[in-house]
Amino acid sequence: MSDAAIITTNNVNLWYHEKHALQSVSIRVPRNRVTALIGPSGCGKSTLLRCFNRLNDLIDHVKITGEIKLDDENIHAPSTDVVTLRKKVGMVFQKPNPFPKSIYENVAYGPRVHGIRDKTELDRIVEDSLRHAAIWDEVKERLNDSALGLSGGQQQRLCIARTLAVEPEVILMDEPCSALDPIATAKIENLIERLKEDYTVIIVTHNMQQAARVSDYTGFMYLGKLIECGKTGQIFEHPKEELTENYITGRFG
Amino acid sequence: MAEKFHTELKNLKTDTLEMAHLGRSMLRTAVDALIRQDTELAASVVAQKEEIHQMEVRIEEHCYRLIALNQPMAKDMRTIACTLKVITASLRLGRYGKSIAGIVNDLSTKPHLANMMSIPHMADLVLDMVDDAIKAYETDNLRLIDDFSSRDDTIDALRHSIFREGITYMMEDPKNISRCTHYIMVARYLERCADHACKIAENVQYMETGERVEIH
Repeated sequence: MSDAAIITTNNVNLWYHEKHALQSVSIRVPRNRVTALIGPSGCGKSTLLRCFNRLNDLIDHVKITGEIKLDDENIHAPSTDVVTLRKKVGMVFQKPNPFPKSIYENVAYGPRVHGIRDKTELDRIVEDSLRHAAIWDEVKERLNDSALGLSGGQQQRLCIARTLAVEPEVILMDEPCSALDPIATAKIENLIERLKEDYTVIIVTHNMQQAARVSDYTGFMYLGKLIECGKTGQIFEHPKEELTENYITGRFG
Repeated sequence: MAEKFHTELKNLKTDTLEMAHLGRSMLRTAVDALIRQDTELAASVVAQKEEIHQMEVRIEEHCYRLIALNQPMAKDMRTIACTLKVITASLRLGRYGKSIAGIVNDLSTKPHLANMMSIPHMADLVLDMVDDAIKAYETDNLRLIDDFSSRDDTIDALRHSIFREGITYMMEDPKNISRCTHYIMVARYLERCADHACKIAENVQYMETGERVEIH
């Protein structure tokens, strides 16, 4: 990988109780690029994704060894503030999970938590974030309506806007389109393409065609190991590893 | 679904091999008809033109359908890409066979000049290359095609030699011009057939390894 890295992991191992879920994973995630993680269910791709903003800390009996760096800083260092880390590394989940509040409040929530109180400033952040998430035109007339009244695709873009509102550097997406129809999926995919101008995106997906369409780099994981990682064109046209070849051509998984 | 797709891919390869063998057989038969001055045999080659054309259309459509419905990747994608090139090359082999068959009539009234120079030998070498290219596509065996560059050089040299020899006979006696022009054309067709064998070989290499090579 020639692009400069924003996240690097070195020999990361993770155990859930006795289960060795990540095994010596070393990966470089290039800045302002989309990196996709693919692999069969249970291969550790979501676990790896959740390492990047320490979401695994919330699970009991998890042990992590190895090093994960964001901007050359070890995210497990005692000096790392997890709230600040999660502000820098936002996350969008499989199922849209808007707060049961208005559209406006969903987006303004994060900036408020981080101390922004000025109404004009909040209005600007909400509009910018909704525009960046390609949903502004659909909701600008009803910002005070409940977010739960939006369609699934709109809710997911609202969740992306909510992530953008705290100005992250990296956006983690865990199967962001799996609950959406093809049209809503296409909108999210177009959005991902635009987001990489300003952010680094890491996406976990079961859908290999989606990984091929949206990502610049792809990592293939199998049984907790990162088998191969490289430019998406290379991985899908001529992977180096036979395991990758067999997985992406549907011979197992 | 993947199993069904891979069965279809196998069927696609089987159909493609059938077409490649037809193209190869049209070329071989046309050369035999020319050597033996057998106009009936030549007519049988011309009659196969429509059959090979229909095969190409059918296999091409099958390739597009497999791509549209399965979005193949890695070797599966490369196999389909290679197949599209193999059927084009096979059609060309058949068409050159038909072109050679088309001149058998003109060359059947008088005995051949100088045993057709090196044309029979050149045809054997070209058909060996075609056979090896088709076999490599069938069996994924790249060793069959690893010397194609030097074999193609030999074919180019033979074409040049036939050209010079033909010119010499034409200068000796203008009555030879018509026949020698045909011989020179046949040598040119055979040289193009070797190039198509090389194209198949290049694509088999891509299918197997993902690497692009150029065989000169």
